[in-house]
Amino acid sequence: MMELEEKAEELLETLWLGTEERNEESLPLENIAEAEKEPLSQLLKAGYIALSDDRVRLTERGRTIARNVVRRHRLAERLLVDVLGTGGMLTHEKACRFEHLLDRGLDESICALLGHPKICPHGKPIPPGKCCQLKRTPARKLVSSLSQLAQGQMGKVAYVYASESGKLQKLMAMGILPGAPITLIQSFPSYVFKVGETQFAVDKEIADSIYVRLVEPEDAGEIIEKELPEPGRKLRWRFGWWPRRK
Amino acid sequence: MRLWPRIGRGFGRGGCHGGGVRLGDGRLRKVGVVGSPNVGKSVVFNNLTGAYVTVSNYPGTTVDISRGKAKIDGEEIEIVDTPGMYSLLPISEEERVARLILFQEKPEVVLHVVDAKNLERMLPLTLQLIEAGLPVMLDLNMMDEAEAAGIEIDVKRLERELGIPVVATVATTGRGMETLRRRLAEYVRSRSCAVAV
Amino acid sequence: MSEAEAVPLRYDEFLEAALSRIGGLLKGHYGISRRAVGLLLLQGDPQMEREVKKRDAASYSLLQEIVSQARAHYNQPLSYVIALRRQQEARRLVSAVVTLRGKRRPGFAEWLSRAMMHPVSGSLILLLVLYFGLYQFVGVFGAGVVVDFIEGTVFGEWVNPWVTELVRGFIPFQVLQDLFVGDYGVITLGLSYAFAIILPIVATFFLVFSIIEDSGYLPRLAMLIDRVFKAIGLSGRAVIPMVLGFGCDTMATIVTRTQETRRERIITTLLLALAIPCSAQLGVIFAILSGSGMALLIWAVTVALVLLLVGYLASKVIPGERASFYMEVPPLRLPKLTNILAKTYSRLQWYFVEVLPLFILASVLLWLGDLSGLFGLVIGGLEPLVKFIGLPPETAVVFLYGFFRRDFGAAGLYDLHSAGALMGVPLVVAAVTLTLFIPCIAQLLVMWKERGAKTALAIAAFIFPFAFLIGFVLNLILTRLGVSL
Ligand SMILES: Nc1nc2c(ncn2[C@@H]2O[C@H](COP(=O)(O)OP(=O)(O)O)[C@@H](O)[C@H]2O)c(=O)[nH]1
Ligand SMILES: [Mg+2]
Ligand SMILES: [Zn+2]
Ligand SMILES: [Zn+2]
Ligand SMILES: [Zn+2]
Repeated sequence: MMELEEKAEELLETLWLGTEERNEESLPLENIAEAEKEPLSQLLKAGYIALSDDRVRLTERGRTIARNVVRRHRLAERLLVDVLGTGGMLTHEKACRFEHLLDRGLDESICALLGHPKICPHGKPIPPGKCCQLKRTPARKLVSSLSQLAQGQMGKVAYVYASESGKLQKLMAMGILPGAPITLIQSFPSYVFKVGETQFAVDKEIADSIYVRLVEPEDAGEIIEKELPEPGRKLRWRFGWWPRRK
Repeated sequence: MRLWPRIGRGFGRGGCHGGGVRLGDGRLRKVGVVGSPNVGKSVVFNNLTGAYVTVSNYPGTTVDISRGKAKIDGEEIEIVDTPGMYSLLPISEEERVARLILFQEKPEVVLHVVDAKNLERMLPLTLQLIEAGLPVMLDLNMMDEAEAAGIEIDVKRLERELGIPVVATVATTGRGMETLRRRLAEYVRSRSCAVAV
Repeated sequence: MSEAEAVPLRYDEFLEAALSRIGGLLKGHYGISRRAVGLLLLQGDPQMEREVKKRDAASYSLLQEIVSQARAHYNQPLSYVIALRRQQEARRLVSAVVTLRGKRRPGFAEWLSRAMMHPVSGSLILLLVLYFGLYQFVGVFGAGVVVDFIEGTVFGEWVNPWVTELVRGFIPFQVLQDLFVGDYGVITLGLSYAFAIILPIVATFFLVFSIIEDSGYLPRLAMLIDRVFKAIGLSGRAVIPMVLGFGCDTMATIVTRTQETRRERIITTLLLALAIPCSAQLGVIFAILSGSGMALLIWAVTVALVLLLVGYLASKVIPGERASFYMEVPPLRLPKLTNILAKTYSRLQWYFVEVLPLFILASVLLWLGDLSGLFGLVIGGLEPLVKFIGLPPETAVVFLYGFFRRDFGAAGLYDLHSAGALMGVPLVVAAVTLTLFIPCIAQLLVMWKERGAKTALAIAAFIFPFAFLIGFVLNLILTRLGVSL
């Protein structure tokens, strides 16, 4: 497979958002910003997209690539928000810059480090990778769903993933909101955990939807470096603002 | 400085009638006891009224409203015990019942009972009650358990921060309940007068 | 006195703008601040939407527009955005007013709590609670020792002879005498059942139950049993109404309100009506079956299987979303004696206020029925049914009692057993059928009130033939297998 330029990847991402996530077949050309149109011909030639009646659509091959770009973009967002704690400063551009660095293989490692997240911080779905089916777990995770924690393990709530608002409200009522300290006490026959001074018992479904941050941002860099294969190392020097250990 | 005008506070509540006098329509002044499940609302209710409503150690004991009368400072006050509520946005039937009391019966004072050892989880409801313009008083209950957990609370400071009366109690032993009664009486009186102004 | 002014929390610019626009449009009276009304609208509270539609009909569409604009502005549900801000403020307040002193180490209570929730030690503790709390205390002590004393000695030797004497002396006609002291007399049947059989059993049960409740055991039991309950369409939360049902099914049916989904409420109501014996029934059954461990086991296994089977089928048939389980687990607390006594007393009082008039009414009706011959007709109608499940015809009257109240039927069963009329296999079959048998009038009324007429009647219509069917099958199996008890 040919190496794609960053710009081409951006365009694939735009197309994915405009078609797949809106249940549309294709996207009118005019909906694409002039500045983004540059790599159109490259993608056409590679057979990733097809043009008809002034509308663009992703081909089968293009869809696979675009799906991956989106996956990496959203994983990058998760990494920035949950682990590096850039909360308010999260911008699309920053995530996009990051996403191109999460090459194949690397995205799986990051995904595993993040506990195979299902949604991005904006609540959009993260297309699952092979790693998610295999539930691969690295030696040390940065983020994990509550159900995957070991007994006695503690951390802080990173975010909750709730498919329906009723569930979200229940979790909020229990005080399970980002930043709350949480400890898993027991995982069978039901999950028992402690938030603040209160213990709660929940079923697997709810335990699956609570994601826990296991490390402080300062320590994240080092763990990522250890857990990631070779290409990951460059992340750190490419982004000088990466928080350093105190 | 007031950041938000006191809109809607106490719509339709009776005017000032002075101490010990019933409100215009002959109804007693009312205190609504609210809070999350299993924080000791019913123990507080029993203590104030001398009646008995069921107290148990699990959430969801109280599913209905109980009413009783308390004699505080020589004045008879109606006390209403409600099922537990986590927030003003109800998820379950009992929460809806509890909210109805707040919105429709307009008690002179809303006594928010909380578990002192879980203050962080409990305060959002206090904030919502204040937001709703309700006359809130906060009861930090289960102080014994909070102390055992090594938690110390600066009650005066919390009172200043929130701008509402705050008391600390151990409802099961009666510790702090005298203060609660006194502050409640003061507050009930000041509330039913403040509205008329 | 200068009172500090409570200042409402401020949200971000965008929400504040939306809130003040909403506040400007609201003209109606809501009993709470417009700010709170606005926040509830933004969070999509359906009840508040209805209220606003009613009171501010003119600006409702404009309000809706503001709300949907605000929703579109955030990636997360507004209730979440708003909750986050409140949490942030709560955290700020806590850091300002709370000081943490050294942490205490987890003590005995925490250790016991973990033991209760551990699958192995937890099951063991459950068995111990059932054996000592229910079987030994309620069954053997309450329904055995105490009932024997009150029924045999107090009523049998003192009250009944004395009252009979008294009535015979003052009331001239045999018929009227029978109203008070006959076979179905208000005193010899109604009051004697209520005070001699039901009272000791229910009192011992409520006592044990109060201790269990106050210790905080129930949420731990709920956590232990959630997986099993999921299979019957319920969640661990249903443990509370179910266990309460052992006290009184009527009370428990009211508590189903705490359940989240309509589906769960219906299934729990059905199972309570069908397979959860109330304390009087349970005590009587323990007492009469305690002679044979095998008989008790057969009864327990049959009823448990019926509960699981019907629950499983109901969860397949009744539509609605699956129940999810979440529950706060409060710390274990040492029960306070005063609270236990007060609670037991208040429950007994509640129970008797409900039961006594019905017992008396039942006696009067039975007396009337006996007099008019109607009673004989009904019994005659029930007899074939009773024979069909292999029971002696005398048991028909017990089922008739059961119509009035479960506990009345149970007391009748006790009576029949003490008289030596019911033993062995038929006794077990009768116990099972009576346990499953139709919910009593009081429970039916509560079901009607809580679940609606249709559901209540449907449940009753299902249970009546079903109980006899199970009785029939059980009798068939036991006699075919040649089981002798
Ligand atoms: N240690 C302690 N326990 C309390 C206190 N207040 C209430 N409790 C216990 O907390 C449990 C719940 O009380 P209850 O009044 O039923 O709570 P409600 O659900 O808010 O009405 C009971 O077991 C009480 O005995 C307190 O101040 N200290
Ligand atoms: Mg209560
Ligand atoms: Zn991107
Ligand atoms: Zn995103
Ligand atoms: Zn993955």
